[in-house]
Amino acid sequence: MTLAPRRPLVYGLLLAALAAAVIASLALGAVKVPIQTVIDVLLGKEVSGPDQQIVEALRLPRTVEALCVGAALGVAGAILQGALANPLASPDVIGVTGGAGFGAILIIILFPGSIALLPIGALFFGLLAAALVFAIAWSGHNRGSTGKVILAGIAVLSLFTAGTTGLLAAYPEKAPSAIFFIAGGLTSSGWEEMGAIWPYFAVGFVTAALLIRPLDRLALGDDVAGSLGSRPHVIRLWAAIAAALLAAASAAIAGLIGFLGLVVPHVVRMAGGTSSHTFVVPASAIGGAALLAAADTLARTLRAPIEMPVGPFMAILGVPLFLWLLRKAV
Amino acid sequence: MSAAAGQAAQPLLVEARDLEVEIAGTQILRGADLSLSRGELLAVVGPNGAGKSTLVRAVSGLQPFSAGDVRWSGRVLPGLKGRELAHMRAFVPQRMPVPPGVEVREAVMIGRSSHLRPLRRLQGKDHDAVEAALARAGVDDFAERQLSTLSGGELQRVQIAIGLAQEAPVLIADEPTSQLDLGAAVGVAGLLRRLADDGLAVLLVVHDLALATAVADRVVVVAEGRTVAEGEPGAVLTSDLLASVWHADARLTAEGGHTALHVAWLPEQGVGAT
Repeated sequence: MTLAPRRPLVYGLLLAALAAAVIASLALGAVKVPIQTVIDVLLGKEVSGPDQQIVEALRLPRTVEALCVGAALGVAGAILQGALANPLASPDVIGVTGGAGFGAILIIILFPGSIALLPIGALFFGLLAAALVFAIAWSGHNRGSTGKVILAGIAVLSLFTAGTTGLLAAYPEKAPSAIFFIAGGLTSSGWEEMGAIWPYFAVGFVTAALLIRPLDRLALGDDVAGSLGSRPHVIRLWAAIAAALLAAASAAIAGLIGFLGLVVPHVVRMAGGTSSHTFVVPASAIGGAALLAAADTLARTLRAPIEMPVGPFMAILGVPLFLWLLRKAV
Repeated sequence: MSAAAGQAAQPLLVEARDLEVEIAGTQILRGADLSLSRGELLAVVGPNGAGKSTLVRAVSGLQPFSAGDVRWSGRVLPGLKGRELAHMRAFVPQRMPVPPGVEVREAVMIGRSSHLRPLRRLQGKDHDAVEAALARAGVDDFAERQLSTLSGGELQRVQIAIGLAQEAPVLIADEPTSQLDLGAAVGVAGLLRRLADDGLAVLLVVHDLALATAVADRVVVVAEGRTVAEGEPGAVLTSDLLASVWHADARLTAEGGHTALHVAWLPEQGVGAT
């Protein structure tokens, strides 16, 4: 009755990577905090000096953000690839990333004084773009078909990307402040952003968990799903909604982080040797969280105190692993 | 040949009347009927494009219909929820996609999921149902193998096992033997017959008239979207009907469990005259 002995092993490795990334994320940065101190702070002990303040007020919220965003993007990619039965699916293809980028640039240009609005702008336009994709893809003949969703998504993505590029070309002096959002990166701004955005993460994660079994049915084809009483286009719609919530909330907190949602589900699928969503969805959450926390630690440590955008570091960490697995998988 | 006697005494599980289906502006069904009782194997036969698959899909609730009436144990189809329908019938497609890395038992467990509440795991009776389905379909020997390693015949029997895990009284199979070699087709045909003998109602879409004659209690002949004939295979599939529906000079014979379709493959060359 044991299923694929590789799966517990992969879970073990992912959890170890997650623990290491969390400790590194809390201990490293412009100021190094001893690991013992980090653990003492986490256990609620009093610690003398500024270390307590650094860990509790700056690094803990940032680490939690990295974990949430990484897990959200990993899960969004996993459920979209499953629902659309397409290995190239990621939050980009349902338009969220394009919409979020446009929303953020719009805030930077129109309301340069109130940068606090940026997450809300990214969230709103990310969900708006996704809603546009759903409205087109789930109407008319063959509604909710994979091809229709992907084509509508790519068209809407192009539209919003054109808007973003147009705005940047028209206001080149604003480009530097937009770069950090477009490249993707976390900030040490305390709990405020998470305080506003967490409900979107919560709804997205709960919906994704409820979708695991329907997605496993869908993997056996629309007819088997139909035999089991599911409606395939409804499963796809819910998967797209959950992914849109997770990706838009992620963009609101960390800007445009493209690579993670596409690649992490593939990495866990290849490492675990299975495409069963019972494994791929939770493993993508852990893997995405570990990868983003590790990349963020690198991004703010390598040239401290200068912070670099996290996107490139994630690619540097993730692409070699992905290519190595890809070579072995085929 | 199976005992068709006494089937009239069984209550009707499914009854479809005057079904009409239009897909993308084309009328596929123009008044098709069928009915199915417990323990009966009903074969739906007909030429390519006649609407056989559309008929069983409409009956299964997988294809909306524009007119007509489908009743499952007396209940009207559009009123049935997906979960209720999943407890009344299992639909086995011609060939399902094979997700990488998924093992046979895992796939059959997915077939059990219509009995589970959201986020609940399989209970003891669910595991029992999965093992029973694996055994009945004869796939328990390779329950640990990945779907991607199976032959066409093995995969078809796994698909039937997935349907059996639903524990529905009706199993609907859409051309399960079309892509199989002779030996695998014999295996699947025998499996479906045994399931009917065990009390399951089986609705089978099939091209092979010799196979249908051998395993079916009754056949429904569909042509141009209508049910044109219905009854015991030997009585219905006459040379006249084969000529009018399939436009072929052919006759069916049945002797001691062997059935054959004798076809004049090259009628214009006047084979009989040489």
